[in-house]
Amino acid sequence: MPKKGLKRNIKNEAKEKTDTIAYRLKCAKTANGLSHFVMYGDVPKEKTLV
Amino acid sequence: MKNGLNIYKSNGKGILIDAQNVFWSITPIHDESDFFIPEDVLNLYNRMKNRLTRQMHNFRFSQELTAIYIDPTDRCNCQCPYCYIPERIRKNGRSMTKGELIFILRKIVKYFKRHKRKPVIVFHASEPLLVKDIIFSAIKKFKDKFSFGLQTNAVLLTSEDVEFLKEHHVGVGISLDSPSLLVNNRLRRSIGQGGNFNQAVRAIEWFDGYAGLNVITTLTKFNLTGLPELVEFLHSKKVPCVLLNPVRLTQANSRSLRPDEKVMTKYFIRAVQKAIECSLDSQRQIIVGNFANIILGIVAPVARRLMCDISPCGGGRCFLTITASGEMIPCGEFIGLKGFSGGNIFKTGIEKAMQSAPFKKIRARIVEEIPECSSCISRNICGAPCPAELYALGNMHQASVFCRFYKEIIKYAFKLIAEGKEKYCLRKEGFNNLEYEYCLE
Repeated sequence: MPKKGLKRNIKNEAKEKTDTIAYRLKCAKTANGLSHFVMYGDVPKEKTLV
Repeated sequence: MKNGLNIYKSNGKGILIDAQNVFWSITPIHDESDFFIPEDVLNLYNRMKNRLTRQMHNFRFSQELTAIYIDPTDRCNCQCPYCYIPERIRKNGRSMTKGELIFILRKIVKYFKRHKRKPVIVFHASEPLLVKDIIFSAIKKFKDKFSFGLQTNAVLLTSEDVEFLKEHHVGVGISLDSPSLLVNNRLRRSIGQGGNFNQAVRAIEWFDGYAGLNVITTLTKFNLTGLPELVEFLHSKKVPCVLLNPVRLTQANSRSLRPDEKVMTKYFIRAVQKAIECSLDSQRQIIVGNFANIILGIVAPVARRLMCDISPCGGGRCFLTITASGEMIPCGEFIGLKGFSGGNIFKTGIEKAMQSAPFKKIRARIVEEIPECSSCISRNICGAPCPAELYALGNMHQASVFCRFYKEIIKYAFKLIAEGKEKYCLRKEGFNNLEYEYCLE
């Protein structure tokens, strides 16, 4: 599946999309459940400051 | 029940959706009277639908416990008028001893022995910092076994505590309801100090952009109009994430604070817009966590982790709560409700609680069996929260109290997706780990 397409699409955010859109994303790191979005306990280990 | 593809029109777009597996597409409508399903969408749907339906079923009905909430004390130094913990418990309840907390954590380590992922322990309501010593010593002792989180009103936080929490990579939620001291302190009343505003803001400043920080705001009729300002205020304080949670009407005391759904929808959407605007203007992101989960519910439904917006919900399935007296309940929201204990951890095991009748009862609550939800196209995006709240209101098997609010924000999420703005609503580092399952070329 076209991984790079995601970057291409989201770079065009300034102009509204005019074609049909249909897609589904999945997490490349975890099979079921994105640990990165949970509110607690998923603090990045290497980088603690944003 | 509506299965298969459904069409609805919104903001000049035709949205096709199969509610069962959340396959969707957005197509511009050129002629209102003549909308047809593009052939390539139909082909994609036919190719993907069985796989997506299987994925959604596994996501909804798996029972992998990943997080345990521990209430180390029943007591609280605040008197928020909407608290879901009854006043008699907050005033007269008990606190765990250090020995009891260690006993519980050892039992949890044993339970998760064969699990690959590090489980999450969240110290939660009432106010865990009232027993700061025992929770900090537990974090030190078990730092290699668990990822830790802490939800606090920040009244007792010191700058040394903040350094400790950052050093140990603890996820921290701070409660704050408004950028206005007066409004906040009316809602987040702390005993003897008027409210938690000054302490919460001071703590946020000490955290100074810490990636593990989030602010939790409870939406009531008193703070809706200030939500965009709140987002702007928190962004200026480098907070990366805020949750704007509608008040739960589980306890009778909260019902007089019920927000008007229309007003709540309007200001919630304005707050999301403000978050996008602030993030774009500064290159420093702030996201509205519960809206991020709605976006994920559409673009990556099985990647969700906040389990209030799927049915069965995560209570007694992906997480459970252990109260200060050791009772295991599906979720903290059940603490004031009778008949939901799955057993006491000092006497029985987590396995038994997971298989107990009260936990099974919560896992059996599915949108397909709720009349208003079974035909709703958003049923697997919103999940009809919350079973505890609805049980307290007389019947668990009914649509969400804020059903119209959820429908409107889901519609707004589709609008943002159509505009290609979804990435601004998700955490950057998480978004970069996403890849396509499929994409219409």
